[in-house]
Amino acid sequence: MKRLFSSINIRELLRPIGQLAIFSLGSAVILSAIVLLLALIMDKTAVGLGVLARFHVSLFTYTLVNLPQVLIDGLTIGFVYAAIALGYTMVYGVLEFINFAHSEIFAVGAFVGVEILIFLDGLGILSAVPNWAAFLILIGAILAGMLASGLLAVAVERVAYRPLRGASSRLVPLISAIGVSFFLQDAIRMTESLTTGQFNRIFPTFGNFDDRLKFGELPMGANMITLGVSIKSIIVIIAAVLMLVGLNYLVNATKIGKAIRAVAQDRTTANLMGINVNYIISFTFLVGGLLGGAAGVLYALKFTRIDPFVGFFPGLKAFTAAVLGGIGNITGALLGGIVLGMLETFAGSYLGVFTIGAAGTEYKDIFAFGILILVLIFRPQGLMGENVSQKA
Amino acid sequence: MANFDLNKLTQKIQQGVWPIIITLAHLILGVTLVYLNPRSNLAFLLMISSFLSLYALKTPVLFKLVTGALLALVIIPVIGVRNIFYLEVIFQISVFSALALGLNIVVGFAGLLDLGYVAFYAVGAYLWAFFGSQQYYVLHFAPGTQPSNLPFLLPSDMFYLFIFLAIIAAALTGILLGTPVLRLRGDYLAIVTLGFGEVIRVLANNLDKPLNFTNGPQGITPIQKPPMPPAFVDIFNSVFGRFVGHTASVADMYNVMFYIYALVVIIIIIVVTRRLNDSKIGRAWTAIREDETAAIAMGIPLVKMKLAAFATGASFAGVMGVLLAGSRTFVSPESFSFMQSIGVLTMVILGGSGSIPGVILGAATVTILNLQILQGLSLYLSQLRQSDAVIPIINFAWKNLSNQLDPAKYQRLLFGLILILMMIFRPEGLIPAKRQKRELASDKVEVKG
Amino acid sequence: MTLLKTIDVVKRFGGLTAVNKMNFSLEKGEIVSIIGPNGAGKTTFFNTLTGIYSPEEGTIEFDNKSILGLRPDQIADRGISRTFQNIRLFSNMTVIENILVGMHPRLTQSSLDILLRLPAFKKEESISEKKAEEIMLFVGLKNVGNELAKNLPYGGQRRVEVARALAANPQLILLDEPTAGMNPQETEDAIRLFRRIRDEKGITVLLIEHDMRVVMNISERISVMDYGGLIAEGTPAEIRSNPQVIEAYLGRGAVANQHEVKAVQ
Repeated sequence: MKRLFSSINIRELLRPIGQLAIFSLGSAVILSAIVLLLALIMDKTAVGLGVLARFHVSLFTYTLVNLPQVLIDGLTIGFVYAAIALGYTMVYGVLEFINFAHSEIFAVGAFVGVEILIFLDGLGILSAVPNWAAFLILIGAILAGMLASGLLAVAVERVAYRPLRGASSRLVPLISAIGVSFFLQDAIRMTESLTTGQFNRIFPTFGNFDDRLKFGELPMGANMITLGVSIKSIIVIIAAVLMLVGLNYLVNATKIGKAIRAVAQDRTTANLMGINVNYIISFTFLVGGLLGGAAGVLYALKFTRIDPFVGFFPGLKAFTAAVLGGIGNITGALLGGIVLGMLETFAGSYLGVFTIGAAGTEYKDIFAFGILILVLIFRPQGLMGENVSQKA
Repeated sequence: MANFDLNKLTQKIQQGVWPIIITLAHLILGVTLVYLNPRSNLAFLLMISSFLSLYALKTPVLFKLVTGALLALVIIPVIGVRNIFYLEVIFQISVFSALALGLNIVVGFAGLLDLGYVAFYAVGAYLWAFFGSQQYYVLHFAPGTQPSNLPFLLPSDMFYLFIFLAIIAAALTGILLGTPVLRLRGDYLAIVTLGFGEVIRVLANNLDKPLNFTNGPQGITPIQKPPMPPAFVDIFNSVFGRFVGHTASVADMYNVMFYIYALVVIIIIIVVTRRLNDSKIGRAWTAIREDETAAIAMGIPLVKMKLAAFATGASFAGVMGVLLAGSRTFVSPESFSFMQSIGVLTMVILGGSGSIPGVILGAATVTILNLQILQGLSLYLSQLRQSDAVIPIINFAWKNLSNQLDPAKYQRLLFGLILILMMIFRPEGLIPAKRQKRELASDKVEVKG
Repeated sequence: MTLLKTIDVVKRFGGLTAVNKMNFSLEKGEIVSIIGPNGAGKTTFFNTLTGIYSPEEGTIEFDNKSILGLRPDQIADRGISRTFQNIRLFSNMTVIENILVGMHPRLTQSSLDILLRLPAFKKEESISEKKAEEIMLFVGLKNVGNELAKNLPYGGQRRVEVARALAANPQLILLDEPTAGMNPQETEDAIRLFRRIRDEKGITVLLIEHDMRVVMNISERISVMDYGGLIAEGTPAEIRSNPQVIEAYLGRGAVANQHEVKAVQ
């Protein structure tokens, strides 16, 4: 027993949690400061007057009162992006290859998890269970989603990527990955249509996941704004943290992690050192798939409704998050996810107010691309990436 | 037993008068079958594939040109007016061929993977959609609330001016997007162009406020077509009336007109592409595709040449956008989705990136698969559903088949499969690009080293 | 006349200083080799000269003008051509097209000339085609103009790389291990070719080379790099007997050992 504990590297377990706290706090403080400053500046303009007329409070108060909820929501969605981004970054770190189909691997996880829950719901089990059992069932669904996505990722690599590993252009495997992504979207759709007759699925309501923990109320003019966080958001955040800690430990503190890093550095040399490169690459895809599958079920839990194309936007945003943080860097993926989730929620909540309704939530989805382009132009190595030059 | 030798056979049919006879037989058989069958996929494929015979078999250039022109400019319009179903297919093939040829400049020659190509198509389409409709007077109305009987902003013959304006607008958009992102590595560039395509689509969806530029998801309609000279209809009817079987209406002739315009654009793209390809610019593009580091060390300004490729490809898409807006009299954001971009990419990859005949073949194949085969399958399935037929062994009644299973909607499956299979088994495409051979003096001279 | 002059050039990668205060100059019409152990910074130095890397410190002057901060294509345009350590041809282009790409900065055809096939375009194309053929003959390539570059044997590909570098009429040609992987016969041909580049075309030649037979045979001057900087300079004879050079190659103690060996003999 003592041996077991001494072989676990506590530092590697705790380090990412500390980083997470710093990133979350840092981006929250910076973004809050920016919107509050904007609100102060615009208070006396048409924007401020508009808010005053509608809510009977100043723009600054409006912004401030809404802030805590925006931060909580931003953090939750940020953790979802971070969880998906881990899959992109794992594969990119090892193969320098954008696994475009990761968004569908994520979607498959969501479907497997949701279908299992719908099946149990059909048996009448879900409505009767106590909260602790509901929690266990959810964990079971997440594990099933992980397994399905993990195996699928390995299969996809074997069939559609491995034959192309020696290709002259890095675009060849990318095009194949786009093909896989499209193929899987319709494959999910076909499977769902043939077996259930429909392809839009709803996460069944059970347990107390939809309940909100209330922190308190804030006055805004005559109204009261309740402040709270739903149980499911807490589950998402905790699960994402566990995923990050686990992955970080796997890569940095285990033997197979060392092999993964060796293959990422130099495939040929790793092979000469007796590492089975194909096995390590398959394993990398397995891990990426497992993470994607878990993220899929968590996404379904948080957003309830899924369809075969559900992976597309979260996938792209998670990729953006990975690039933003510095692709190939695990901590970077997390930072990118949090920053992107926050930015997006801030934009979604305040853009409409600050532009007097000319632009609002509808631009939330393309907001990520703006960030992606800016990052790639000004800091292509990402926030945490190192400057790597190409060899001539 | 006589050994069947495929090589000998191919050699034989490439000799003497055989190529001409085979081509003509192929063409006549195809045309006759299409003429006699109003809705036959097979007959149509046979007819359209006679372009392939024309391309592949060794016949005199004059014969190729005359036969090709006859087929494209006379036979297809006549058959199309006789049976509007075929004209629609052939029009779509032409539109997609033009788009695929444009994308081919970017992907095939310069090796830049553009996943948001239809964004430039959208720029052209919305340009004419805005100025060629009543939208200017709808600026201050929310979608669906505008009064009726609004005038058109511009006369319909401005259509032709806007074809040229679209070239400029799309090329400028290409340069604007390209300048910051063309420094990026190929795979990042792909994702950024994808993002740009989505940005354009979301803008088209949402620019109905604060001012109503695009009319949102409902799209803009009616958009004007260019004027149709009445003489055109009369001449067509008097010359081809008896082959068509009925009097061609103005609407019929519009379809023919847009088909011919698309054809003109295709021919211009082919000429431009070929000329560029045999020049400093085309060689620089290919060099960049082959090895960026070596290319820049040879004095090729990377960003400038990539921008040129991007802008050239974009401008053709812009032109096709104006044609689309005019021919359909309706544009909406739906026509410019990511899936459309991938569809065009699939055509380029299937046919052979960098290869003009390949890309046209790719466009034709994907369009026919899409419009004919998948939809044909849908029709067949829905007939089965209404029948009492049962799959024998597993005892499955067709009428229990889910209504959601509509093959016509499974384009992604089709595109995805094509992309994966081509990358694994034939990345150079069905008709791989060939390098131009030059007449070299040194090839004939014996030199002493 | 000094053609190329670098003063205190520094290139760092993170914590690693690959080129450290490199001072180097080259007279017009010389044939000079840079040698040094693996990892001494030779190729990185080439890459800073050709603009692939921009140095953190120092100045680089070519033809009495600073080329610091110029892009690789602008430097090529100024008259520095190069070959690569591991051949980098445009594999799917024909041999003659590879050479024509090398001419890119010298071609004046405009897009209008190209699209309308104006006489200016046709004339320039036929002149450059002829010139490309002359270059092919000069480097000893026969009857391969229409072959794809990737289909040539190794020695042929090396020749195409040199031909491509010569195509832009450079003043200076940088050859990065040009005889690596060649058999003795091919190496001898290559040495003859490099001499003719200087003698017949008047182009200054700078090589990175590991093969001492080549270096000693062809160089008029040799510069030795180690740890990113210049440790010795001189004629082949001087370099051969320079204790610092021997130490760099064979390690500390080698110099003493060599004396012992000599003494024993």
